[in-house]
Amino acid sequence: MIAPSVLLICSLLVYPVVYGIWLSLFKKHSFFPDQRFVGLANYAYLMKNSDFWMSVWYGTVYSVSTIFFQIVIGIIAALIVNEAFKGRNFVRGVILFPYVIPTVVAIILWKWLLNNQFGLVNYLLLAVGIIDDPISWMGMDHIMTSLILISVWEFFPFVVLSVLARMQTIPPVLYKAAKVDGAGAFRRFIHVTLPQIRNVLFVVILLRSIWMFTKFDTVWLLTQGGGAEKYIRTLPVYAYMRTFMYYQAGMGSALAVIMFIILVAATTIYFKMFRREEEI
Amino acid sequence: MTPKINFFSMRGQFIYGCAAILAVATAFPFFWMVSTSFKPLQEIFVFPPHFFPAEFTLKNFERLFEQTRFLTYFKNSVFVSFTTVMLTMTIGSAGAYSLTRFKFYGREKVASLILFSYMFAPIMIVIPFYVLIKKIGLANTHTALIMAYTAFCLPFSLWLLRTFFQSIPLALEKAALIDGASRLEAVVYVVLPLALPGIIATGIFTFILAWNDYIFVRILITSDELKTLSVGIADLYNATVIDWGMIMSGSMLITVPVLVFFVFIQRYLIAGWGAGAMKG
Repeated sequence: MIAPSVLLICSLLVYPVVYGIWLSLFKKHSFFPDQRFVGLANYAYLMKNSDFWMSVWYGTVYSVSTIFFQIVIGIIAALIVNEAFKGRNFVRGVILFPYVIPTVVAIILWKWLLNNQFGLVNYLLLAVGIIDDPISWMGMDHIMTSLILISVWEFFPFVVLSVLARMQTIPPVLYKAAKVDGAGAFRRFIHVTLPQIRNVLFVVILLRSIWMFTKFDTVWLLTQGGGAEKYIRTLPVYAYMRTFMYYQAGMGSALAVIMFIILVAATTIYFKMFRREEEI
Repeated sequence: MTPKINFFSMRGQFIYGCAAILAVATAFPFFWMVSTSFKPLQEIFVFPPHFFPAEFTLKNFERLFEQTRFLTYFKNSVFVSFTTVMLTMTIGSAGAYSLTRFKFYGREKVASLILFSYMFAPIMIVIPFYVLIKKIGLANTHTALIMAYTAFCLPFSLWLLRTFFQSIPLALEKAALIDGASRLEAVVYVVLPLALPGIIATGIFTFILAWNDYIFVRILITSDELKTLSVGIADLYNATVIDWGMIMSGSMLITVPVLVFFVFIQRYLIAGWGAGAMKG
């Protein structure tokens, strides 16, 4: 009875991945069937291509900064909603909204809020006097900032939920003991909470890194290929553009393979560096 | 649990303050979407902005239904998502049941196959997937979408369903078998009713994933009348003048089903997200 599942996963998930590696060795038009074997030429071309290295750079900036802020804000938020205050369950529910809604909606909401003429954010910043002129959030200077802001907003709930679940299992005795020993709130966090949530953080950072590094829809939808698209063209967007705008399916596949190699390498290093004896 | 935080202490005020900021930061964009979608066009662009519509109107929704194919997109989304759920639940339940009840060669391999699929992000699959779908002549059909979603949802569904089936004691089935029930009867009358909450929760995760997806629709569907909501709404943007009122009302209608279902699965979120049910 497991056969249909295995068959489907293998034919629709594993096979395409293998086929993608094969495809990356060809010069192949995205729509027409003609293809020509070119060996590693696609990879060689990319290595010398400045657009490719730019997208590696933007991808790195995007993943590293969004992961950092998600984790920090996520842990702080988890600490807050772990406290027993009135309306806690309401806040716990609402906080997860950004992660559950369709990405399209998240992007549309923020594009409206960050609209340079009629957006509420610019209005509030002007009204309070923080800025003198409206900021062009979707312009080339600020698009990366906007993208990071929106992504952190959309994805930090995952961190909150995972970390909170672990925090709830920390025995209160530990905090009492630390208090008796005279530890302040900060030291209690460093010496009691942090060691306890370490393992879950290990997994959360791993998953979020994989997902942010391969994030396509949030990045793509912000510009949909127009405007300041060039300044947030991360690797996944670049792979999409090569395939569906330049019609180079082979080149697009090569980019997907490169992403996969980077992921495997980074994951291996990450495990070597941080994983001690204990199981996840 | 009774609230223990004293609102009048320094610490209490700090926590209430932070909780308020968190709630506003996550919920306000949604409030703004609802507020905008009920405002008449001229009020949307008023400066300073009104937080609540001064004049309440349904004109935005009327335009959405009359001038766009929103209803078609909605029907397509419902059809594709529900078919995916039915298919995934049928195949997944059978697979998960056999994983927990029968010993067979390669059982452990299936488990590692599931974990390995964590590394596959849609962007890495979608290019070869598209080329393959094109080859077998299924490009631009809902079948292609359903195949993609089923393949993507099966790994986490199997993982989740397995834990639900594991929690049902074997003794119950044995008792039914001793009482003269056939294996099928034992499954239908004893196991499935007990596993139902878990199956429904897994189904909802699948639904949300299919409903929220953007990338597969963008790539696999080219005809306007076959598009689902996320791409349909994203394309409303490509109009020369962006009708914010209409877009906000559309966004609201996409979000509502997700949030309604979300309320039902709150209990299962940790298990679901941990199994990769959102992958993003």
